[in-house]
Amino acid sequence: MNTADGLAAWLSAEWGEPVTIGGLDQSSAGARRTNVLFEARGASRSARLAATIVPSAEIQILDVASEAEVRDVAERGGVPVPHVHGVCLDPDVVGGPFFVSDRVDGETIPRRVLRLVAQGGVGARVAAQIGQALARLHAVDPRTAPVALPRPPGARPIDHALDLVHTAVAGLLQPEPAFSYGLRWLREHRPSEPVALTIVHSDVRNGNLIVGPEGLRAILDWEGARIGDPMEDVAWPCTRMWRFGEDASTVGGFAGIEPYRAGYESAGGTWDEERFRWWRVLETLRWGTGLAGQAAAHLDGRFRSIVMAGSGRRVPELAYDLLSLTRPA
Amino acid sequence: MQYRPTTTELLSDVAALLENEVLDAVTGPLQHRVRVAANLVRVVERELLLAPTLAEEERYRLALVLNDFDADLADLRTRLAARLDDPEPLGAPWTRAIYDALRATARDDLAIAKPGYEAWTGE
Repeated sequence: MNTADGLAAWLSAEWGEPVTIGGLDQSSAGARRTNVLFEARGASRSARLAATIVPSAEIQILDVASEAEVRDVAERGGVPVPHVHGVCLDPDVVGGPFFVSDRVDGETIPRRVLRLVAQGGVGARVAAQIGQALARLHAVDPRTAPVALPRPPGARPIDHALDLVHTAVAGLLQPEPAFSYGLRWLREHRPSEPVALTIVHSDVRNGNLIVGPEGLRAILDWEGARIGDPMEDVAWPCTRMWRFGEDASTVGGFAGIEPYRAGYESAGGTWDEERFRWWRVLETLRWGTGLAGQAAAHLDGRFRSIVMAGSGRRVPELAYDLLSLTRPA
Repeated sequence: MQYRPTTTELLSDVAALLENEVLDAVTGPLQHRVRVAANLVRVVERELLLAPTLAEEERYRLALVLNDFDADLADLRTRLAARLDDPEPLGAPWTRAIYDALRATARDDLAIAKPGYEAWTGE
């Protein structure tokens, strides 16, 4: 069954009336997710929707039912997410399990997002809205989170992240002294573990946002959701990788930290400067080892790709960013 | 000896072909891969021109930091990484010297890998 026929059959059963699918548009196809935008028309109603399809169950990080569930939990907590209408676990309907959500209009491509925000002069507002959205997510009772969300061993996200990045640095194809320096800094500046763990999205940044001329509309891509330190979420959009050249605007190329922090705190978030700084360094090093890992996957034949090869030559960017964040006093 | 064009001249020609002709002739994910490939050819072109000098400068900086003027660059990098992995304290002056050496190397590496990236000196 092709995608349109599969979606039509599934929605017909959901709505209890024959549904036709039009305007099918595959908006993006990542390694693990395909997003399809479409219009559904029945006799009594019509809707503009999006289907998130996992082509193979083997490469999913979080199962789609749990991803849909964490979106629901976040939405109830006041986080802007496209509302989920239903989940289908049958892999034969559209070639993989999927869920269907509202289609939220707006811009998602990072450089276009930055252009739109600059034109409207709403950079500080977007930064504040991201801060508010994160604070609302972090205010959700983690006991209501889907049981499938990964949790750090011993409820120690700082130790766990440090262990993982240590292993990654030790496994580099050749020593990278700047990464070893960063790892040493992380050990010497290790903060105490957070008092309370929360649901974290883990990838809130330009590229996973839907933005309109007036500001933030929705946060996408919840497959990396897990239980962790709220400050790891807060630090992530402030790393240089997500500024797309607008380096002076620390928060995703949108604005400086002040409106972001004010937004986070105004929605009840507790800002911890020490952990914020530590996570920025950790996440920069982790991204650097991730790029190195892509090059390794290319070189040993697990995933031959010129893009993965090129990732290896992006390591100097992360080495430079890491050193910029860890200047000796 | 090979006749002209030289290695770097040829790489420049290949990069220009990818950037100016192939890129316009392809669409979708292949366009992204062609853009990456063109960029990598430019990286190699700069590497051939700059790397010998920059590698010698890096070797000299690390020789000063580790006080060993006989070791080659790969060996010095391995030893510095191992020393940084060792939790034994380094002391502030040595930490500063290591940091300055690594930062200079990072800037030089970017001159090959991504010129202009080092223009931003903030966090």
